[in-house]
Amino acid sequence: MMKREVAWRVFAAEYNSSSLEIKGEEERAPSYIITPLGAMINRLFVIGVMTDVENVGTTEEPMWRGRISDPTGTFYVSAGQYQPEAALAMSKIKPPAFIAVVGKSRTYSPEEGTIYVSIRPERIAAVDERMRDHWVLETCKLTLERISALEDALEMEVPSAEEMVKLGHGKSLAEGVVKSLQHYQGLELDRYRTMVVDALRYLIPEYRTEAEAPQSVAEVPEEIEDEEKEDIDKEEKVLGIIDKLDKKGKGAPWDEIVEETGKSGIDKSELEELTNSLLDKGLIYEPVLGKMKRI
Amino acid sequence: MEKEELAPHVSEISRVLRGKVEESEIWKELDTYLNHYRVSLETAKRGIVKKFGGDPSELMRGIRKPIQQLGLNEQSVDILAKVITVNEKDIEVDGKQKSILYGIIGDDSGTIPYTAWEADRYPLRRGEVVLIRNAYTKEWGGQPQVNLGTRASVEQQPEESVKLPEGMPRAFPDAGEVKMSELQENMGGVTVTARILSLEKREVDVSGEKRIVHSGILADETGKVQFSAWYDFELKPNDLITIRGAYVRGWRGIPQLNFGERSQVTRTNIRFPSGADLAKPKTRSIGDLEKVGGGIDVLVRGTVVEVRKGSGLVFRCPECNRVVQKSSCRVHGSVQAQPDLRIKAVVDDGIATMTGVINRKLTESIMRMSLEESMRLAKEAMDPNVILEKIDERLFAQPIELEGNVTSDEYGLMMIVSSARVSVPEVRDEAGSLLNQLEESE
Repeated sequence: MMKREVAWRVFAAEYNSSSLEIKGEEERAPSYIITPLGAMINRLFVIGVMTDVENVGTTEEPMWRGRISDPTGTFYVSAGQYQPEAALAMSKIKPPAFIAVVGKSRTYSPEEGTIYVSIRPERIAAVDERMRDHWVLETCKLTLERISALEDALEMEVPSAEEMVKLGHGKSLAEGVVKSLQHYQGLELDRYRTMVVDALRYLIPEYRTEAEAPQSVAEVPEEIEDEEKEDIDKEEKVLGIIDKLDKKGKGAPWDEIVEETGKSGIDKSELEELTNSLLDKGLIYEPVLGKMKRI
Repeated sequence: MEKEELAPHVSEISRVLRGKVEESEIWKELDTYLNHYRVSLETAKRGIVKKFGGDPSELMRGIRKPIQQLGLNEQSVDILAKVITVNEKDIEVDGKQKSILYGIIGDDSGTIPYTAWEADRYPLRRGEVVLIRNAYTKEWGGQPQVNLGTRASVEQQPEESVKLPEGMPRAFPDAGEVKMSELQENMGGVTVTARILSLEKREVDVSGEKRIVHSGILADETGKVQFSAWYDFELKPNDLITIRGAYVRGWRGIPQLNFGERSQVTRTNIRFPSGADLAKPKTRSIGDLEKVGGGIDVLVRGTVVEVRKGSGLVFRCPECNRVVQKSSCRVHGSVQAQPDLRIKAVVDDGIATMTGVINRKLTESIMRMSLEESMRLAKEAMDPNVILEKIDERLFAQPIELEGNVTSDEYGLMMIVSSARVSVPEVRDEAGSLLNQLEESE
């Protein structure tokens, strides 16, 4: 028996930006997804809002898929016949709902060099808002710890896990950070720091956005309207691109959408926001993981 | 496996068989075991040695360690080292004269004393590099020493295979001044300043000899540690003392402090927390406990990420307290099993993980449900698993605070929980101050 894998806390935006997988070579050796911030994930723990759940399999062989959103993006969760308990639990969830998941990291790679990550739940259950808020705070703290580990590693001439451990970082984070630096180019640590700041604001009522605090809208109505209008224009653009790229009627591949929208000056994180909004509005859906299709 | 990778294993088998079998024959055998029967290398080697009448226990168990990593009680270890000194000595064993070798060996990680119990069997010469196989270690004054017994062998190696650094450090540099939370198994030369929280005198049997040991609990602001003093330093409860030259042994991973005649104990009068303050459990992170192996009376925070099978309503053998299946104890057979409640919770803080074992009393209070009530529910449902499900519903994904003693083994850390608190901390204030910090540093 091997030591139990720790359940990492990462935000969706960090998890979904992962493009490095280390597969266990020996029998039963664990596989890991290395995130840009160096989390070495075999198992993870997430609390967020399940926004939709559906059975994409058959009644006999169900395959439940769901999305869980956190303040930064969306986790994709799926459970099939080999996760009977989790599949049963998912079938009973009525979105939207606060949901906690402990699960294994999974990847789907439609072609060389492209990786989509998802979660295969071991356990999934309804929780309350306070538990979600606690998860967000914990994940902020642990994300900051990874950022500072990366900063330490960047200061080394030749980053080594051994030296990182000497500085007081945990063994697997030390290893993950070194692997991350070898793989990811041009890490934008500021982007992740901003992500943490936004997530912290999310926890403090004074910073809540217009949807939950209408009085703040009254103070700065024009600006927000402008922003909204701009967003809607961009959403139209993304919709058009998805339509154009959906040549066989099976959905437009995500990486092509990224490339195409990039030409119009929409970067990947903005695109993620726009597609999330479109998903929420029910204008597009994801027929298979990694493809978007207009409804 | 490549031929050159197998070569050392072939010569090892040949060594154990004392050259009775041609190496070409061993090659053939090894090839058959590995490529035809596809057994593991270890199994293949044992099989071949056995087949030709050798003793498989003489095979290297595959553990070669740098000197720095040698423990106090290694059973079988290989060491590649340079012989720094060799001395010969005649001793009397069972009325017979016999000569032994002793001295110091070193590698790039450190040096260590050795004793070779048969002088003529081992070609140890000063300045030569040797691979010592199947040595064992024993503790002397808190430090390990290498022993070459009858199972050991010595092979000469090219001189350049070991480079001693200049200004050779000792294998176990003195740990120096450390806090209770930093103590770790196998540390030597430890200096600590702590208050004695409790003390008792016991008589123990050390290899047939009766000895008095003064043991108890020492504490500083970082935590508590059990200690054993093998000499009467006239210690008293509540004394604030500085101990120099102590060493650390582990019990199921928990570091314990030892000191004796060769250590110094002085009373000090510095500002130090009171006994009452020190008695409270200290907060430790799971990762920190993992690093040192365990600790007593610690407080740990984390989230329950799994309620393990075997939690809930269980039945125990009245003889040995083991959990039984279907009223049958694996030692005492069919028994009148006694019901009990317990929780085995995997607690995880995102950095490290630990199993907390929670007894009946605490389980009853967490679940607000008595054992009798659980029995009734299980009977109604005709399934004791309903209790496990209820515990899982209550605890899964819950932040939790546990107090107790933490031990470790190859499966990881385990806490015997003495106090538990399940509650979701308020996040707003902490989020606010963290946000301020971040915005200030921008």
